[in-house]
Amino acid sequence: MLEAQTLSKQVTTAAGTLTILNEVSLCVKAGDSLAITGSSGSGKSTLLGILAGLDEPSSGQVKLHQHEITALNEERRAKVRADHVGFVFQSFQLLPGLTALENVMMPLELHGVANARGKAEFFLTRVGLNGRLHHYPKQLSGGEQQRVAIARAFASEPDILFADEPTGNLDSETGAHVIDLLFELNREQGTTLVLVTHEQRLAEHCRQRIRLEGGKVIERKPCEAA
Amino acid sequence: MLKSQVLALRLLWRNWRSGEVRILAGSLVLAVAVVSCISVFTDRLESALTAQSHTFLGADRVVRSSQPIPSDWQVLADKYDLRTATKTQFASMVFAGNEMHLAAVKAVSDAYPLVGELTVSQQPFVTDKSLITVAEGGPPAGEAWVDSRLLPLLQIQLGDQIVVGEKPLTATRVIVDEPDRGSSFSAYGARLLMNEADLAATNVIQPGSRIGYGWLVAGDENNLESMLAELAPKLTSHEKVVDVESAQRGLARTLDTARKFLMLSAMISVLLAGVAIAIAARRFANRHVDQVALMKSLGAGCSSIRQLYGIQLLVLGVLASVIGLGLGVLLQEVIASGVSSILPVALAAPRWTSMLPGILTGLVCLVFFVAPPMWHLPTVPPLKILRRELAVNSVSFYWQALLGLLAMVVLVAVFSGDWWLSSSIILAMLALLLLVAVFASILLGLGQRLGRRAGSVWRLALASLQRNSRQSVVQMMVFALALMLLLSLTSLRTTLLQDWKLQLPPETPNHFLLNITPSESPQVAELMEQQNLNVQQLFPMVRARLTHINGEEPSEDIRKQAEMLRREVNLSWSDRLNSDNNVVAGEWWDHWREPGIAGVSVEAGAASDLALELGDDITFDIGGLTLEARVASIRTLKWDSMNPNFYFLLSPGALDEFSPTYLTSVYLPPEKKPFINQLLGRFPTVVVIEMDRVIAQIQAIVAQVSSGVELMLGLVLLGGFFVMWAAVGSSMEDRMQEAALLRALGSSRHRLLGSLWIEFALLGLFSGVMAAAGSEILLLSIQYWVLDIPLSFHWGIWLWGILGSALLVGTLGVLSCRKVISTPPGLMLRELS
Ligand SMILES: Nc1ncnc2c1ncn2[C@@H]1O[C@H](COP(=O)(O)OP(=O)(O)OP(=O)(O)O)[C@@H](O)[C@H]1O
Ligand SMILES: [Mg+2]
Repeated sequence: MLEAQTLSKQVTTAAGTLTILNEVSLCVKAGDSLAITGSSGSGKSTLLGILAGLDEPSSGQVKLHQHEITALNEERRAKVRADHVGFVFQSFQLLPGLTALENVMMPLELHGVANARGKAEFFLTRVGLNGRLHHYPKQLSGGEQQRVAIARAFASEPDILFADEPTGNLDSETGAHVIDLLFELNREQGTTLVLVTHEQRLAEHCRQRIRLEGGKVIERKPCEAA
Repeated sequence: MLKSQVLALRLLWRNWRSGEVRILAGSLVLAVAVVSCISVFTDRLESALTAQSHTFLGADRVVRSSQPIPSDWQVLADKYDLRTATKTQFASMVFAGNEMHLAAVKAVSDAYPLVGELTVSQQPFVTDKSLITVAEGGPPAGEAWVDSRLLPLLQIQLGDQIVVGEKPLTATRVIVDEPDRGSSFSAYGARLLMNEADLAATNVIQPGSRIGYGWLVAGDENNLESMLAELAPKLTSHEKVVDVESAQRGLARTLDTARKFLMLSAMISVLLAGVAIAIAARRFANRHVDQVALMKSLGAGCSSIRQLYGIQLLVLGVLASVIGLGLGVLLQEVIASGVSSILPVALAAPRWTSMLPGILTGLVCLVFFVAPPMWHLPTVPPLKILRRELAVNSVSFYWQALLGLLAMVVLVAVFSGDWWLSSSIILAMLALLLLVAVFASILLGLGQRLGRRAGSVWRLALASLQRNSRQSVVQMMVFALALMLLLSLTSLRTTLLQDWKLQLPPETPNHFLLNITPSESPQVAELMEQQNLNVQQLFPMVRARLTHINGEEPSEDIRKQAEMLRREVNLSWSDRLNSDNNVVAGEWWDHWREPGIAGVSVEAGAASDLALELGDDITFDIGGLTLEARVASIRTLKWDSMNPNFYFLLSPGALDEFSPTYLTSVYLPPEKKPFINQLLGRFPTVVVIEMDRVIAQIQAIVAQVSSGVELMLGLVLLGGFFVMWAAVGSSMEDRMQEAALLRALGSSRHRLLGSLWIEFALLGLFSGVMAAAGSEILLLSIQYWVLDIPLSFHWGIWLWGILGSALLVGTLGVLSCRKVISTPPGLMLRELS
């Protein structure tokens, strides 16, 4: 499903060239789950961005669902994202002007899915927010907002879901609830999960784990991958 | 394809609901409304005025000739489907019993007049409107319609007979007003209007008699032009096509100034709306960066984003334009219905072409103000969703401003047709912006130093200004700009209204008395004295023909351009200058050294038509006698001052041997109107020209147009408010965040409110100072170059501009922040995050 080979990322800054990622390779099968951990500034978000086709590496390749996305231009990558990818973010990224329902409908409408409303309602009900369909993000708690974001990610039924610190802004109890939800949907729909987290508890839910430090993979569990 | 359009509409609706596009839409609507209101209205007014001046001709065009009108012309008129009439004018003795009078006879065909109204009455010297009727044509054969004063002159009543040449006619009506009477003093004798059919029987038309023929034409303007083009080769030097330009100079000038003012207001409100639109669009774009990043991470491509936003903008633009256009047309209808009762002619129906500027405004605003800040939206990298701090490339503020200004120049210039005016406004704006940028930085620096020593509320305010210094400068620019335009317009309006009042001061003479004989003149003066009427100077006057310049007959070229060579002119002399006269070259009599022949002072326009220079000798033929005079000075004068004015004023005493008659002008209040009857009863040969109706009309129109101007001003103020609102709003998020934090940290509501107030009031104060300076400069240049009225300083804008601005901006700021103050800090922080 997702395969990365010797990914490197350098950026040039005023202070010289900075290596953020150093020859990272990984492989995730369909329906599998991967956790990327590491201390702050270790390059987790950068890696996720490249894997999801939001960013380009300096060298190396990423293969996502038979597409070699590192060889595609942004426009074609967008198409791949549209067809296969979903996101959940640390800061939820809900649009403040839209209700919960409209936020979930947004990607569906964008992709021209029929019955966007029904689907959105269904997934909001799945995350336990059927009573809050017409509330605006600012009327919802952080955990509720993240559940809306999860509903939005799953509503377009992606093959693979990327999440950057999905529980980072939540207290541990709410975080646990969100984690349960993610894996429940992962099981039901067979969605591949790629998570960035520094929470041990969340990482342990995943079948695969890698740990980054200074842009390098310093630990890999189980060891068979790569 | 269709789906994305539906989605775009849905997004637009959601954006509307969340308030993000409201200022944008409001400003767009305002811009389109103001422009279409003014352009439709002025277009209607202009066509009405043209129509009105046509009534002064009695037709759309008149061909004047000293020869009878050839009958084949009629064929031409028929070919182009034009209506025609003919008139024949001459002076002739008319008789009744033993009395006789040299009347100004006009014989007209049945269709006369083609345009305008011929009003008549059964009662001489009528003042009661209900007794005046509009005639459906000229008099029928066998009848004569006459000026009231002809009745006492001939000592007859209506119903009696008047003999014209050899033809007896029955006087059946008195003429109250005829459209093509003209206001020239050549209307010596009393008017007698008769039917063309009786003309031959009078036998007065003999070879050699001086007759003026007129061919009146009216109809579709294009057809008219084509017909005249075809006619042109057939015209000889005896024939001349007269159009409407010459009619009614005073009113035309007033209305032209009003039109310019309306244009100016329109431009300024478009400028204001443009600024508001630009700010709102920028804010909209900034807020949508996250949304676009999200949509792109969800797989929307650059092109589909462009399409989504493009459609939204297009729909928004079209909707706002349609609503704006509707509002504008409605608004001008309101103004028009107020004016139409006073205008002498009905306003023309609104034309589609006059709505184009409004639509154009909507388009230009969309393309040049809304599109640039949105331009970069589709290129927002999807990675932005992961990395908040990622820079988004955007059109810089300065480029956007430049682009907007450029669009404005074009729009304003196309709209007003006045490149001078538009570029001077734009230049003033640029200068102001520069001024503001420099001074704002200095003031902010100064404020910082003061702030260190100030009390805590002030320190807070100054620190906040300092922290957001870039934004503060931009805000000051916007405030100052809006204020400058508002201040300029407000005081321009005051100046204008005063200028209009000055044009026709109270007690402006409203009647001319002509043809007073030398022996009558002391008695007339005495009679007026008795009535407590303000007696003006009595000017002597003789009719003369200019025959030679420097001993030679005028060249063919001069003959062509100087109409006065083809007719008689009035000469007068005077030892003092009318107040509206100005000697621009040579010397007035008090400094003039007599060269042994008479001197003459020539009106500037006539001098240039005749190519006269100081020291030239001109020869006049006065009833067979000659008078030679040397050009001693050249004068400018105001024809619309309602004072007796002359092309040629001779040195004192030069006309004494030529048996002059006298003329004067007098102000008659309505209640003294019967004086005319008394005067004419005693001196039947005196000619009275009543200007009071024309003057009343001018004043009524000025009053109405003034209220139209006030209405416009209201709209412009609304535009200014939009701008300020948009500008305050654009910084609100940051300020709210700060204020909420401060409150959370325990700052008291009072302190916070005070510091916010001070912060915005200071912004307003600084902007006010610069706006006042800017508008003073702008006003002086507009007065000088555009409106051509005397320069005057405007201390009011300094006082009100600065005070008002501080108060207004301060209040606006506090009002838009009141939410922070009244919401518990915790809740506020969550909403803002
Ligand atoms: N475009 C860039 N220019 C300069 N430095 C960059 C750029 N992109 C990333 N970095 C740097 O690379 C390092 C890794 O960033 P990244 O966001 O991937 O870390 P992270 O592991 O997600 O950290 P955190 O847990 O704090 O989110 C950081 O030090 C960051 O400052
Ligand atoms: Mg990160």
